[in-house]
Amino acid sequence: MGKLFAIIKREYLERVRSKWYIFSTALGPLFFGVIVIVPMVISSRTRPSPDLSHVIILDATGTQLGMRVAGDLAGGISANEPSRAVVRAVKPSELAQAESTATHEVMRGENPFMGYLVLDSATLDGQSERYAGRNGSALVDVKEIEDAVQRSLLSQRLEQEGLQASRIKALTQVNLNMKSERLTERGREAGGLASALFSYMLAFVLYMMLVIYGQQILRGVMEEKTSRVAEVVISSVSTDSLLAGKVIGVGAASLTQMVLWGLSSVLVYKIRGVILASFGVANVQIPLPHIGVLVALLLLIFFVVGFVFYAALFAAMGSTVTNEQDVQQASMPVMLLLIASIVFVQPILLDPTSTLSKVMSWLPFSAPILMPLRMTMIQISGWEIAGTLAGMLIGCAFATLLAARIYRVGMLMYGKRPTFREMSRWVRRAT
Amino acid sequence: MAEPAIDIQQVQKSFDGHVAVKNLSLQVPRGIVYGLLGPNGAGKTTTIRMILDIIEPDAGTISIFGHSSIRGRDGNRIGYLPEERGLYKKMQVRRVLKFLAELKGVRMRDADKRIEMWLRRLSLSGNGKDWGSARVEELSRGMQQKVQFIGALLHEPELIILDEPFSGLDPMNAQALKDTIVDLRQEGRTVIFSTHLMENAERLCDALCIIAAGEKVLDGSVASIKAEHGGQHVALGLGQDRTPAVNDIFADRSLVKALDDSNRTVELELAPGASPQLLLRRLIDAGAGIERFELVQPSLHRIFLDTVGATGVEPGMSGHG
Repeated sequence: MGKLFAIIKREYLERVRSKWYIFSTALGPLFFGVIVIVPMVISSRTRPSPDLSHVIILDATGTQLGMRVAGDLAGGISANEPSRAVVRAVKPSELAQAESTATHEVMRGENPFMGYLVLDSATLDGQSERYAGRNGSALVDVKEIEDAVQRSLLSQRLEQEGLQASRIKALTQVNLNMKSERLTERGREAGGLASALFSYMLAFVLYMMLVIYGQQILRGVMEEKTSRVAEVVISSVSTDSLLAGKVIGVGAASLTQMVLWGLSSVLVYKIRGVILASFGVANVQIPLPHIGVLVALLLLIFFVVGFVFYAALFAAMGSTVTNEQDVQQASMPVMLLLIASIVFVQPILLDPTSTLSKVMSWLPFSAPILMPLRMTMIQISGWEIAGTLAGMLIGCAFATLLAARIYRVGMLMYGKRPTFREMSRWVRRAT
Repeated sequence: MAEPAIDIQQVQKSFDGHVAVKNLSLQVPRGIVYGLLGPNGAGKTTTIRMILDIIEPDAGTISIFGHSSIRGRDGNRIGYLPEERGLYKKMQVRRVLKFLAELKGVRMRDADKRIEMWLRRLSLSGNGKDWGSARVEELSRGMQQKVQFIGALLHEPELIILDEPFSGLDPMNAQALKDTIVDLRQEGRTVIFSTHLMENAERLCDALCIIAAGEKVLDGSVASIKAEHGGQHVALGLGQDRTPAVNDIFADRSLVKALDDSNRTVELELAPGASPQLLLRRLIDAGAGIERFELVQPSLHRIFLDTVGATGVEPGMSGHG
């Protein structure tokens, strides 16, 4: 027991002390912060250029539309600034000449205009308007100008129908924001999109952890084998203890990392107001799905069982290789199981209740990733979870037994990489 | 009388149809330095792995200090240095040693003390340097071997098994290793080492066993082996260019039974009935420039060549002794 503990301790401490581990653990919350906060900052920053109103408006409509647009551009963007738009009423026949002058002014002027806007009879008909400017491909700017023309045209038409200017402004000022919620057996929950995003991230993190730490185990085993450290260790402890110690030690290190990520993410979430304020952005409610203690516990169990399943298989594969070139090939069978799981994340996100989703979340090899995904999206009955867990435990027991037998022989075999036929002989022969 | 340190009886081991160890029996008494000699691929490493219970024999029994299994307490009585050395490259030397000590059940406090003692003793620390806090990969090959050697000794084992301990060591480190082996023997411990370097075996071993192609060729104390393979051996030093006449003498099977020709020195075994005087006279007649002519005991090297040569090294065998 003391020897098993010595192996667990070494695996855990050596991993936790590594630069990569410290780096990635510290960067986790930063990453989380970035993916949550940056879009919020960006979206709040995605405003039209401040000098959007610094344009020439060539009004060939013969109406007051140009003036209206100029006024709208001022108030519509930054309420405190007066519009800097210059309105030029032109005859349709002189439009071409006026445009060429405006082009020149935009391109070469002392204090150049952003661009020029052309309003003509087609605009009055509600069909088209034209804008050419240095910000001509800035979507937000173009959209803002388009909106300004639309609003101005609308109010001009309404005024022609006899409505008062002040009434028009009050009536047309509408700014709608869609807020979606999810209805489940548990009742009303936070937005469908936020919940799906959370579940997706969870599945992705689980996948990444299994791949990264699985590969680490594989390489660790290979290092022990090629450096012959294994021989010294195996002369003191059994191969089963060495394998178990490795899986437990590395598993504990990965779990530590996830817990640290979880805690720091919660912290970032809680203090997001302060962080956002430092960017000059107002705090926003981020709706997160509710994860109860039971679900959290289940998530942990699924991860642990899944980790043992994959770690044991990766270790077994590691014991069959002696050089870096063979690593890819050796890890492929196990990686295929993981990839076969992750490709079903999207279909399940779209419809977590379909038969495909259900079956994939039951299979022992894909359950560690896909069941937590479904569990955080929809409510899953107790028997379904219990059944899946039972299946996973059986799969896990089978995988570790298989792995232990391959590992036992593989660790002391040198030379060419064994074929699957040879490996199956090791498994059958071991008693 | 105390049980022998190792008692191997009728042990057999084969891998995928290839017999690595054939019907091997040998005994290693306690408190001696024992050599396991043989050409590459003879089955030395397989035998050592079976002694350590890393692999199981197909047939036969192995007992260590009278016990048939070394797991548990008896495992802690053995220290092992594998043939191809390696340690966790990224780990700090002290941490590796502590880990190895822990695997053998040494208490942490004792481990720290012993690690410091051994690091100083094998000049890995002291005199203003401290390789103990360096990472293994920063050490030279020779230093890494020393670290691993320390790892095999930290739990103060009664039986120390060294697989090809001298391979890859420079003369300085080889000397340090020899000194330590002698010290360990004087402390009453049993040391077994495998080698194919006869010179080391001849100088260090109290007893030895020569195996080839998985079979024991001979074993016993070095003195008895030499007496047994007595014959009449002559060590010859030849100063100048050899004449063809001299080579004719060496080729005369009525006079010379076997010959180990190392150019300037030649070790030869006289044919039965031939006398050294006759050989000397004929050499002088042939105009050989003799610098040395000595009746000697056969060297282990000579015995090794004679015996193993007779059994033969299985062609195409590779891998571990």
